[in-house]
Amino acid sequence: MDPLLLSKHEKRKLATQFADLCLTCGTCAGGCPVTGVDDMDVRKAVRMVVLGLEQELIDSRFPWICTLCGRCEHACPMGVDLLAMLRSARGKRERDKVPGVLHKGVAMCIKTGNNVGIPKDDFLYLLDDLSAELAEELPGFTVPIDKKGARVLLTINSKEPFGEPDDMKFWWKILYAANESWTVTSENWEGVNWGLFTGDDESMKEVVGRIVKNYKELECDYLLLPE
Amino acid sequence: MHDLLKQYIDEGRIKLDKSVHTHLTTYHDPCNYGRKSERTFGHGYYEEPRWITQQCCDNFVDMYPNRANNFCCGAGGGAWAAPYNEERIYYGRVKAKQIKDTGAHMLIAPCHNCRDQIMKSLRKEYDMEYLEVKYLWELVADSLIIEPREVESEEE
Repeated sequence: MDPLLLSKHEKRKLATQFADLCLTCGTCAGGCPVTGVDDMDVRKAVRMVVLGLEQELIDSRFPWICTLCGRCEHACPMGVDLLAMLRSARGKRERDKVPGVLHKGVAMCIKTGNNVGIPKDDFLYLLDDLSAELAEELPGFTVPIDKKGARVLLTINSKEPFGEPDDMKFWWKILYAANESWTVTSENWEGVNWGLFTGDDESMKEVVGRIVKNYKELECDYLLLPE
Repeated sequence: MHDLLKQYIDEGRIKLDKSVHTHLTTYHDPCNYGRKSERTFGHGYYEEPRWITQQCCDNFVDMYPNRANNFCCGAGGGAWAAPYNEERIYYGRVKAKQIKDTGAHMLIAPCHNCRDQIMKSLRKEYDMEYLEVKYLWELVADSLIIEPREVESEEE
């Protein structure tokens, strides 16, 4: 490894403005449940960045084992932007090396409008089926689809239509009881945005943009995104 | 989400029955609604969900530490969908201890990730099978006193 001249290091790869301010006090690592895993902790991650070992951090498991919960950043006496730093380390991974299904979910969402690729017809059929079930308990209940002028636009977490469909009824019951004017969209209804987790700002923006587009086109007043 | 539920309760648009949930209940602060919302938008949702929970349950206890100092469930940042299960469960040991220390038999989480980690993983891994876990909106839905409307009133 070549020696690194701290006086003229290259522009940082990772998104942190304040890593230089770190006092190495260890308050961050002291309150973190994954300190010690892989012989790493968040204090060491900051040292790696400051000392030019950014690529080594990007290639390590640490930014992914960290849950980006932000407890370290909340406690940091110098206000070092630890979350932005660690999330950008995730973003610098080649997409085919993102662990597990996270990037596959992002790519699926960009392609189909939801993380698990549920086709529009199946989705609408499921909603129809479930709302008929709920109408037995709540007279007149329906799930309004693409209803223009509805006050509330409700997004859906794709794991529910995929694996836990009855859980969608919790919100539906509340909206019925409150006599709310609401709607679900037939496309781009996904409320989950895994770009947040994979450090993929571009995809994240695209997914948010689709929700905003639905919201504006349907002239809603309130976005209900229960994640 | 919290604001809407709070509004419905405040304005009397929904009515809740506290007798449905009598067990000692605690509340888990998700990092996104708490610390990160506070940092990004200048407001952390700490009080609203506690208030909503207590409109459904009289018997409430906080974990320690809580609010901005709360510990993550262990599945944040996409860890629930990542392949590092052993690390995720190890991470959750702190959360499990926090929950056990309250003596609560029901836990409310307003986040999908946190709910799944606590309900489907930590309960099993840390011997808390007695613990009932609900979404905040599930708690509200299960507490609703619904007066069924006339079918005609649906057609506006």
